Amino acid sequence: MNVKLFKSISIEPNKNNIYRHLGYSKEKTEVHGVMRDQVDCYIDDSLSVIDLKGVAEVLTVKKADEERIELEGDIIFKSKGLAQFLKGSNEVLLMATTAGTQIMEEIQKNSSSGDLVRSVIYDATAGEMVDDALTWIMNYYKGELVRKGKQLDPRRFSCGYGDFALEEQKIFWDILKMKDLGVQITDSYLLVPEKSVTAITGIR
Amino acid sequence: MAKIKNLLKKRIVVLDGATGTELQMRGMPKGACPEKWCLKNPKLLSQVHRDYLAAGSDIVYTCTFGANRYKLAEYGVKDIRGTNRRLAQIAKKAVGNKALVAGDIGPTGKFIEPFGPLAFDEAVNAFKEQVKGLIDGGVDLFVIETMIDVQEARAALIAVKELTAKFTMVTMTFEQDGRTLNGTDPLTALITLQSLGADAVGCNCSAGPKEMLKFIASLTPYAKVPLVAKPNAGIPKLVDGKTIFDMPPKVFASYAKRFAKLGVCFIGGCCGTTPEHIVNLKQNLKGAKPAKSKRSAISALSSARDNIVLEKRKNIALVGECINPTGRKALQAELCQGKTTIIRQLAKEQERRGADILDVNVGAPGIDEVTMMKNTVNLLSVATSLPLVIDSPNIKAVETALRVYPGRALINSISAEKEKIEKLLPVAAKYGAMFILLPLGFKGIPKTFQERKKNVEYVWAKAKKLGIQKEDIIIDGLVMAISSLKKAAIETIKTVAWSMKTFKCNTIAGLSNVSFGLPQRSVLNSTFLEILKKNGLSLVIANPIRITKGYSKKAADVLLNRDKDAARYIAHFSKQPKQELKSELRDLSAKEKVCKAILEGNREDIVSFVKELLSIGVSAKDIVYKSMIPSINKVGDFFDQKKYFLPQLIASAEAMKAAFHFLEPRLQEKGGEKIKKTVVILATVKGDIHDIGKNIVALMLKNHGFDVVDLGHDVDPKKIISEIKRHKSPIVGLSALMTTTMVSMKDVINEAKRQKLSCRFMAGGAVITPDYAKSIGAKYSADGVSAVKVAKCLS
Repeated sequence: MNVKLFKSISIEPNKNNIYRHLGYSKEKTEVHGVMRDQVDCYIDDSLSVIDLKGVAEVLTVKKADEERIELEGDIIFKSKGLAQFLKGSNEVLLMATTAGTQIMEEIQKNSSSGDLVRSVIYDATAGEMVDDALTWIMNYYKGELVRKGKQLDPRRFSCGYGDFALEEQKIFWDILKMKDLGVQITDSYLLVPEKSVTAITGIR
Repeated sequence: MAKIKNLLKKRIVVLDGATGTELQMRGMPKGACPEKWCLKNPKLLSQVHRDYLAAGSDIVYTCTFGANRYKLAEYGVKDIRGTNRRLAQIAKKAVGNKALVAGDIGPTGKFIEPFGPLAFDEAVNAFKEQVKGLIDGGVDLFVIETMIDVQEARAALIAVKELTAKFTMVTMTFEQDGRTLNGTDPLTALITLQSLGADAVGCNCSAGPKEMLKFIASLTPYAKVPLVAKPNAGIPKLVDGKTIFDMPPKVFASYAKRFAKLGVCFIGGCCGTTPEHIVNLKQNLKGAKPAKSKRSAISALSSARDNIVLEKRKNIALVGECINPTGRKALQAELCQGKTTIIRQLAKEQERRGADILDVNVGAPGIDEVTMMKNTVNLLSVATSLPLVIDSPNIKAVETALRVYPGRALINSISAEKEKIEKLLPVAAKYGAMFILLPLGFKGIPKTFQERKKNVEYVWAKAKKLGIQKEDIIIDGLVMAISSLKKAAIETIKTVAWSMKTFKCNTIAGLSNVSFGLPQRSVLNSTFLEILKKNGLSLVIANPIRITKGYSKKAADVLLNRDKDAARYIAHFSKQPKQELKSELRDLSAKEKVCKAILEGNREDIVSFVKELLSIGVSAKDIVYKSMIPSINKVGDFFDQKKYFLPQLIASAEAMKAAFHFLEPRLQEKGGEKIKKTVVILATVKGDIHDIGKNIVALMLKNHGFDVVDLGHDVDPKKIISEIKRHKSPIVGLSALMTTTMVSMKDVINEAKRQKLSCRFMAGGAVITPDYAKSIGAKYSADGVSAVKVAKCLS
């Protein structure tokens, strides 16, 4: 098994998505200039403390049926939803990203000191950025796989979707050596730092 | 090198088409290692090379795209040099002297520092291993291709250049948005790679020819080297589970002349192209002459993700000077501790304030400057897209930084001092960096323009011998304080004007030194800047956070030595009244100001507006009930209607909280009626650490007169029960974000029922639905505004 580490993922924030995450509606929301400047400024500020990193690994599908997927290394995921999602895939791509600890400290610090506006904007930006970092990793693999005549499924599936239990996140954490990424997992299967995500997709 | 240059004089050079997809079509199994497979099937590979030769290729690529130690290790191949040698020999034997053979170097599949874990020099060494094998195999030139990371392209290019003087092409792969995955655009890549010594630069793979034309067009005006285009046969499509490239050869070749018109001198095909594509390409290029590069140098800097072309600019370029520990104790302390927060923030802040380039100086007592400069440059290469200035008197620190910097940097600075000329100038030439020519000589700081002129001419001559051109140099006007040298500003102005006139090159000045020791420094600095601009200054080093714009006659008199001892200037600016801030609120009544402050979330000014209302006799109670509560209710309605989004709701709530905090003591004095508050316990349940939503609910509830006891996150059910009892709280709000933790809500509610507590519960959080809340015996609350409504219902 060969986990690939992406030590620093450089992507631009998608401000439209961050605004949407914060409840902005293009048709309805009216934001005056000062507030817009402030939101944009806080998004920019958050970028200086967001440290996007990722890990990913391609694994071969050993066996698959309607209810479970067995991967190389005796890894078994039990989920009808996931099995359906990966139907026809010979390999899978497991991936995880994190925004790092510093952003979480800043969110907590601002929340405690009463600057909740800054806190929610940092939170929304970090949430969007870790998701965009997963897309970035997928694009990276997409390019590599095309040259080998293979195709990466553009969708992805995560623990907590349908019957794919959050508890399975521990398997991602172990396989992807997320500890090396600075990510811990709690007894209730939450990733710490909180702005960390995992996902799986299929390769055909 | 000569063979290629001769070829370029005659015609546009035709490269080969795809090797990988061609081998797959001829039987190489999906997922096989091409290098290993080709060594087992040399005849097939030879035939592919010969077919491209017959099709008209002037240059064929060796089948060594993945023949580096990292890729070959995946297939158990250890002999990297031998593999490259044998594959190069196959190509050479196949085409003989009828075509040239380019040693093909592809990506390692690893990310290199600062973007990945692979150390830069480890990557260079890995590429050198491959280069040595290709040289052994007799290749005529090199091609570094399909790079998505400009840093990896740099590592490969340095590896080639440190081993051989052979012609080297570098081609990058761009996504349809015109950037590599790492965010590099074509022009940025060109500026970086041509300055580092690439003999030709361009694009391969990426997309079809139509898309690639746009990328190439952005390079044409700025290329000092020939351009390369090697597009795919269209955009890949998935048909019956197979990736196919279906652009027919004739259609593919129809783009050939358009590429030629844009100055492309090397053209071929990438994925999906076949010998037939090359035959058609060759036919369509008949009569097309290779265009000569329009320039031999360019004044431009780049980072990994952006660039600045200085000659294109109409405005002066601002170099942010704040990343410098001199006089910044907090930054000094952070550097010593190896922390990065302040540097990141300074970079972002300067970027936001309009800096075009960032100066990086990490020299401080007790710091290993070589390591610190390398680490800081690595950090900033990721943290900002602005190009960097490497500012250090330590030559080793500058060289280390230039080697790892994934762009074209500016050196600050090279003077006429012996060590700088002998050691730093060759470093600038090797890495293709621009540099600031500081007119310092052997005898210290030259006070007059005449002395500076001699030093500039001396460095200029030395630089020219190393192939450095005027576009690579920026002359420093050498700014000194007018408080210590009356003619300091005049000497700088003369230096800038002369440099501009004589060399027609860029000039720079460190602005703030000039005003040291005088009042209203920003006025002097901005006036000095205006004068320098008129004399041709193109870059300024300054603090973007403090820089102001404008011209003052009084300041100009000081700078041009027309105001003796700056007496008139000091007299005038020492008595400057404070600027009165314009207020759009001036025409509003005090009550309207309070309401507006809540509606607009003006947390900074609301207390002063409340004070204004109190001063005209309005009671605290009336301010709360007649101004504040109606306004915050309106905010809640706006949020429900999506007229406001979350930051507006919170900002308004925070403004309300600030006013409440100020008014609370007054509500209970002078006969004010004491507001009876309902206690609400809030907690994010055990196992859950996500509590930002709960914090918003707490703020909203407080603003609507509830007494909130916030127990925080990851709270044990026992603790929640004991707090309910202690506060006799009638309402309890529980939050959870994950399915694994929401079950804890039920435990709390069941325990409360078991102990027959009379409190009522509300529940919220990302995974909570109205049905789930109902099933555990709680009222559902979707957000901060609905939490207030639910709490009012429950109280």
